[in-house]
Amino acid sequence: MPRHKNRRNDGRSRRRPQRHKDVLHARGGHRTADFRCAGCQLAVPLAAPGTAHRNHCPHCLVSLHVDGRVPGDRAAACRGRMEALSLSVRPDGEWLIIHECRSCGELSANRIAGDDNALVLMRLALRPLRDVGTEASGALLAL
Amino acid sequence: MSTHHHDHARQSGSTHARTTTSGFGKTDTFTCVHCGLTLAALAADGRRRDHCPSCLHSRHVVDHVEGGPSECLGRMTPISIAVLRTGDWMVVHRCVRCDELTSTPVRADDNRLILMRMAVRPLAQPPFPLEAFGDV
Repeated sequence: MPRHKNRRNDGRSRRRPQRHKDVLHARGGHRTADFRCAGCQLAVPLAAPGTAHRNHCPHCLVSLHVDGRVPGDRAAACRGRMEALSLSVRPDGEWLIIHECRSCGELSANRIAGDDNALVLMRLALRPLRDVGTEASGALLAL
Repeated sequence: MSTHHHDHARQSGSTHARTTTSGFGKTDTFTCVHCGLTLAALAADGRRRDHCPSCLHSRHVVDHVEGGPSECLGRMTPISIAVLRTGDWMVVHRCVRCDELTSTPVRADDNRLILMRMAVRPLAQPPFPLEAFGDV
């Protein structure tokens, strides 16, 4: 199944290209081997299908707060654990995970990778419909 | 959040007819940057609005990375619904100018149709076939 469903064929992309990142993940960089996830402690390989930069654990979707405003700048001094908060969808149909830092409350968005746990993603997508509070039940009843 | 609201009121040239103890008038209004709707700055429950109840768009007036007021003032579009542990919904906004993310609680008079559309949006375009979940 293609990851982009409505990609335009005229060669122009509406989104800006991904920023250049000079973080050396492999080849003698700060990480040369698999790393342990901060959430589930499972070993995570560096290579992620669909992206050049592994952002989150594919098993539990937990990330680390290392970047500041620009993705890849490694400017955040927080180093807190970022847990998946919700899912967003790009106009081209690609899913984004919204992470929230458990330490400082900062939010960040990142594309899902090809090896992310589909069951965990599905639980995240169904969360607004499952835990129905007072305001959410009003939204359901209005339909 | 108070600077957020104050900037909202100031940027839209609102009238400071009757100023309350919190520094905001009860008759203050602001204009939505997306749909142009003129809104009372106070919601029905007495709290300050931070997004338009009709189109859910907001404005980037608070810098959440460094704190304090932001100089961006870009339009913020609603991109996602987040759920707190209490079951209440939050709207996640993204600034179209600088890509900063914020989350604000859903108000009682927010547009239900847009809220529900955002909540079910991931299920409309799943990146993997959902038929496989029938066997799990």
